[in-house]
Amino acid sequence: MAALQTPSFDGIGIANLPNQRHKIVAKRGAHFTIMVVGESGLGKTTLINTLFSTELSPPKNYNKRHYKQLDKLTEVEIIKAELEERQFKVKLTVIDTPGFGDYVNNRDSWLPIVEFIDDQHEAYMRQEQQPQRHEKIDLRVHACLYFIRATGHTLKPLDIEIMKRLGTRVNLIPVIAKADTLTQNDLFTFKQRIREVIAAQGIRIYTPPLDADDENAEHARVLIDAMPFSIIGSTEDVKTPDGRTVKGREYIWGVAEVENENHCDFKKLRSLLIRTHMLDLISTSEELHYENYRQTQMETRKFGEPKVKKLDNPKFKEEEEQLRKKFTEQVKSEEARFRQWEQHLIAERDRLNKDLELAHGAIKQLEAELENLQVGYGRGSGRR
Amino acid sequence: MPGISGRRRTKVKGVQFTIMVVGASGTGRTTFVNTLCESDVLQHKVIDEPENAHQETAIRIKPANVELEEDGIRIALTVVDTPGFGDNIDNEAGFQEIMTHLERQYDDILAEQSRIKRNPRFRDNRVHALLYFIPPTGHSLREMDIELMRRLSPRVNVIPVIGKADSLTPTELKMFKKRIMEDIEHYDIPIYNFPYDEEEDDEESIADNMELRAMLPFAVVGSEEEVEVDGELVRARVYPWGLVEVDNPNHSDFVRLRAAILGSHLNDLKTLTEDVLYETYRTEKLSRSVETSPGGNRDSVIHPDQLATQSVRIKEEQLRREEEKLREVELRVQREINEKRQELMAKEAALRNLETRINSQSQSQSNTSF
Repeated sequence: MAALQTPSFDGIGIANLPNQRHKIVAKRGAHFTIMVVGESGLGKTTLINTLFSTELSPPKNYNKRHYKQLDKLTEVEIIKAELEERQFKVKLTVIDTPGFGDYVNNRDSWLPIVEFIDDQHEAYMRQEQQPQRHEKIDLRVHACLYFIRATGHTLKPLDIEIMKRLGTRVNLIPVIAKADTLTQNDLFTFKQRIREVIAAQGIRIYTPPLDADDENAEHARVLIDAMPFSIIGSTEDVKTPDGRTVKGREYIWGVAEVENENHCDFKKLRSLLIRTHMLDLISTSEELHYENYRQTQMETRKFGEPKVKKLDNPKFKEEEEQLRKKFTEQVKSEEARFRQWEQHLIAERDRLNKDLELAHGAIKQLEAELENLQVGYGRGSGRR
Repeated sequence: MPGISGRRRTKVKGVQFTIMVVGASGTGRTTFVNTLCESDVLQHKVIDEPENAHQETAIRIKPANVELEEDGIRIALTVVDTPGFGDNIDNEAGFQEIMTHLERQYDDILAEQSRIKRNPRFRDNRVHALLYFIPPTGHSLREMDIELMRRLSPRVNVIPVIGKADSLTPTELKMFKKRIMEDIEHYDIPIYNFPYDEEEDDEESIADNMELRAMLPFAVVGSEEEVEVDGELVRARVYPWGLVEVDNPNHSDFVRLRAAILGSHLNDLKTLTEDVLYETYRTEKLSRSVETSPGGNRDSVIHPDQLATQSVRIKEEQLRREEEKLREVELRVQREINEKRQELMAKEAALRNLETRINSQSQSQSNTSF
């Protein structure tokens, strides 16, 4: 915390305003929400733990995996933590997305993620419209790290689809995961190709602003040139062949160091996310993305009206359809059964009616014959 | 049967062996094959223009032939690559393509064997081993991996392989392998696991098979570049922090895998394909065609010359369908006739009943009136 500067004698003291601001901000602390998206096994959890130097996310529990392996769902998990450094507190929220891209059919697997981001903007908007809006719960995502598998080829159609959708809603920062799988040349070509695809497909990614003063602009340029960042993550301390103890991954053939800029761009990413551009990320989320969302919503909805929710998640739609079909089939078969029964009864009734008629007819005939006979008898007895 | 002529062919062209490699792009398939054959058998993926990167590509089946020598034996190896598998958003179609390819090879041999006059130059393209490349996530099997191995195991020997294994540390690799094998057992996937018979085989081969089985899935690292190490040129991958040697058994299982599939277990893989997998398919297929042609339609089985061509098969299908339709119509008409007849008889019976009743009544009347 900077000491309060005494006002210089040739001014009234408005130059002291930033210091006052600093005190207020330092006391209030900040909150930062970061989302990690990517297929499983790309080191998302490890990277978060490495970035913030603490085990925010526990290691994966494999014992229950057989229940969920074939689930075909993308989930959204929220992890909260509070970090403190030199008496400055940050409320950190990490949003993980397990299950994305792991299945045979990944169509629409990005929907839960995109909806989550929109929902946070929506929730904030509704809270702002309330009469009491002091205690706002703000889970709007400030930065989204998209993990690209280090294939060495190029972006996959799935990557492109989701990055397009994420880029318009949130600060998207693509990273090359598990970069210790690529040699220097391969990595260079890979980054180049990704940049070309991002440009050609119109994907919006976050770039640090260049219009700052000279030294910051230089730093920003270095960051921009290195994007997408190649990442190696590790929370373990290992010994290098030359005796140092660093955070890294220990192979038989050497140690890949996390904080060595020749090995990966981890330091640059950490700088972008925390050291130099965290505030920019937060403010662009709030000013740019949130305002975009608010604008598009306001154009179609009135103040205070709830959002029209599409209640169909395509994966559940199938199940719904199936159940509905089964239901209608059952109903149909029951109806058919009833109809048959009805017809059966009608047939019985008709049959009995006919019998009745026949009997009736027979009786009438007999009566008629009886009359004839009686008449005949009367006549006949006379004749005999 | 390609038994006797096969022996003659061994002397001239070498043992014929077909493997198929399956795996998403970037799992190291192409590099592995080129490393295995020590030459550029397969071409690396041609990257499209960035504007087209979002387009989904269909899977292609691309065979390539190469001559190798392993342990003094010449091998005429056919490698079937499957680029495009697993790269799309929806990968369901890819499975069917591969399955169709495998079954078509079986169909061809089935037709060929049933011919009266066989083609002496017939090529046996049955796939003897399928190497499936699991991406090195470090966790466990994904739905994609499980589905593929499960669906294809009944038709081909599936050998799971971890591609780009140099992205895992030794501990991670051990745990990953363990979890994969647990998953394979849990989902009952019949992969090729170097089977041995405790009573029949000798100790050496039992030990060999047990060792190979314990190595499953094989963790491979491939490289087409050579680097100088200690004065020698070795195939390796160069990183800023070290050098990964492809042929070093501590760094990768490549050497053991190659020795197994191209050497010690080549014949076992072939035999299993020919004697077990193919025979199972043949039995299933023939009993299916017998079931769908009941009664006197044995012709569809006895003339397999016609079966060999697609168009005739389609025509047969159509004929069968027409026959079924006609049979249905026949049955329906019969039923209606029977119904009408019954109605008629019922009416007749009722009428007769009435008649007798009237007669009896009039008789009784006339009896009582006197």
